[in-house]
Amino acid sequence: MSGLGAFWGLYKREVVKIYRRAFALVMTFMQPIIWIIFFGSSLNGMPREYLVQFFGTPNYIGFVLPGQLATSMLSTGTFSAMSIVWDRRFGFLKKILVTPAPREAVFFSKVAGAVTRGLVQVPVMLAAALAFGVALPLDPVGYLEWIAALMLLGIGFSSIYLAVAMKSSDWQHPQLVANVMNLPLMFTSTALFPRTFYPAWMRAIADVNPITFATEIGRGVVLNDPYTPTLLGYLAAFAAASMAIGLLVARRFMTAE
Amino acid sequence: MNGNAIEVLDLVKRYGNVTALAGVTFSVSRGEIFGLLGPNGAGKTTTIKILTGLTPPTSGRAYVAGFDVVRQPNEVKRRVGWVSSEVILDDDLNAWENLELQARLQGVRNWRERATELLKYFDLLQSAGRPVGGYSTGMRKKLEIATALLHSPEILFLDEPTIGLDVNARAMLWDLIRTVNREFGVTILLTTHYMEEADALCNRVAIINLGKIMALGSPAELKSSVGGEVVELEIERPVDLSALKRLPDVLDVAASDGKIRITVRKADETIPAIVKSLDFSAVKSLKVEKPTLDTVFMKLTGKRIEESHVDYRRFYAMIRRSRR
Ligand SMILES: Nc1ncnc2c1ncn2[C@@H]1O[C@H](COP(=O)(O)OP(=O)(O)OP(=O)(O)O)[C@@H](O)[C@H]1O
Ligand SMILES: [Mg+2]
Repeated sequence: MSGLGAFWGLYKREVVKIYRRAFALVMTFMQPIIWIIFFGSSLNGMPREYLVQFFGTPNYIGFVLPGQLATSMLSTGTFSAMSIVWDRRFGFLKKILVTPAPREAVFFSKVAGAVTRGLVQVPVMLAAALAFGVALPLDPVGYLEWIAALMLLGIGFSSIYLAVAMKSSDWQHPQLVANVMNLPLMFTSTALFPRTFYPAWMRAIADVNPITFATEIGRGVVLNDPYTPTLLGYLAAFAAASMAIGLLVARRFMTAE
Repeated sequence: MNGNAIEVLDLVKRYGNVTALAGVTFSVSRGEIFGLLGPNGAGKTTTIKILTGLTPPTSGRAYVAGFDVVRQPNEVKRRVGWVSSEVILDDDLNAWENLELQARLQGVRNWRERATELLKYFDLLQSAGRPVGGYSTGMRKKLEIATALLHSPEILFLDEPTIGLDVNARAMLWDLIRTVNREFGVTILLTTHYMEEADALCNRVAIINLGKIMALGSPAELKSSVGGEVVELEIERPVDLSALKRLPDVLDVAASDGKIRITVRKADETIPAIVKSLDFSAVKSLKVEKPTLDTVFMKLTGKRIEESHVDYRRFYAMIRRSRR
């Protein structure tokens, strides 16, 4: 199948670009690590009972690590959007579309590239958490489920952002979209704070926000707190729906000009 | 597959209320080097975009390698190569990686062999492992042509192939284009606004302006269509022109303030007869004006091609620098 070959070629390109631009990669690690450093340091002096009362655990880095990892998957959206906008701007998209490669292959390669880039953050963040003294439990199945959750989250976000950027050739658009979307998505999830103290309207959003679902799965692993497998099902549905939207938009709007 | 490599029938393309192509008809035979010569905004790139399936025409028909570009775009895309006017390569990838991507997009098996052959041929094998971002303009152009040839296309579209190149690189590329045409047996449609380029490379040229083809033919045909070559004599004193006017190859004689302009079919062959037909001791200087494709363009449009064309060379160099 020529579509598969085209996908593989395009995906390889995305991966090569990730490690040839190592500086950009390192910078994407920095943000979540900085979060952990400052979040950790600023709560260090807080009495244990307050922490337990507020976070439900004295291990606040363990609490925020899954939230940060889930939030960091928002970066996959920015990556994929940026990648298609640059390809359009520098004409590379024309070079692809002048071949018989199907548009779907281009779409999937961008999603897969962005998710790969997003997932590279996982081991780095886990290592950083270990370095900060978080005791990570040994639970292989749990980690696999967690990584699957992050992957589905990444597929969902990168598909949607890609759809939004499909027609754009303005390199500022992805950043603008990210600025408008990322913070609200983070704050209306349980990534940073437990939902218990949210007002009703925020709780309602948090309960459908996919970041919440990936966060809760991660927390289940790190804090050894059982969670229901349906969380993963919800994320799968989110990823599938976003991908369907993204594919429709790609078929319709991925043109050379 | 028999028939012409390219067949274009009354092609129209509108962008909003801009008419990029206003009914263009031409055909290109197999094995030909065909040129579209015209100034900025003439519709050259638009024509290529339609013929490579990058954009649909507003109306009209186009067949490439025997397939309808609108109905069978993938059949067309498998059989054509395209080199853009701005070099499009991935600067983060090296030559091998750029070629591999192209191979996978085109579904070329055993691409390494073909790629090695092309890199060797284009003298790029030594630098093939380096990221393309560090290549010179000429090297980038060559690599882009190599990627376009990787899947052995029947037809190669070259959009302004030598724009932004210095004189040496241009001469090198001209040779390359000729050999690609001859040795790889590839039909070539190229666009240019350099009349010498069209003259030197093309079997036939279509002069295009404002989305319309103004003239079409071999460079020699086009040039002779403007009415032959001019021998201009500067004279010290009036001379008798009656014998000159009777010469069979002289088409026209015009005398004015110390100058005689003699229009002939072939100056090289007629000059001896001209010298004999008048008192040549009165002649101070002799000048021959051969028509160029620019003369043709000027006669058709009242403008010169190069005047109406911005030189993009420095502009592109600037863009490339800012990309790094
Ligand atoms: N995507 C587009 N949107 C709107 N107008 C366009 C588009 N592409 C081309 N045009 C217009 O169509 C006309 C023909 O453009 P085209 O690019 O084909 O010219 P060209 O002969 O290639 O010129 P150049 O020598 O500058 O490359 C121009 O007036 C141009 O502004
Ligand atoms: Mg052009």
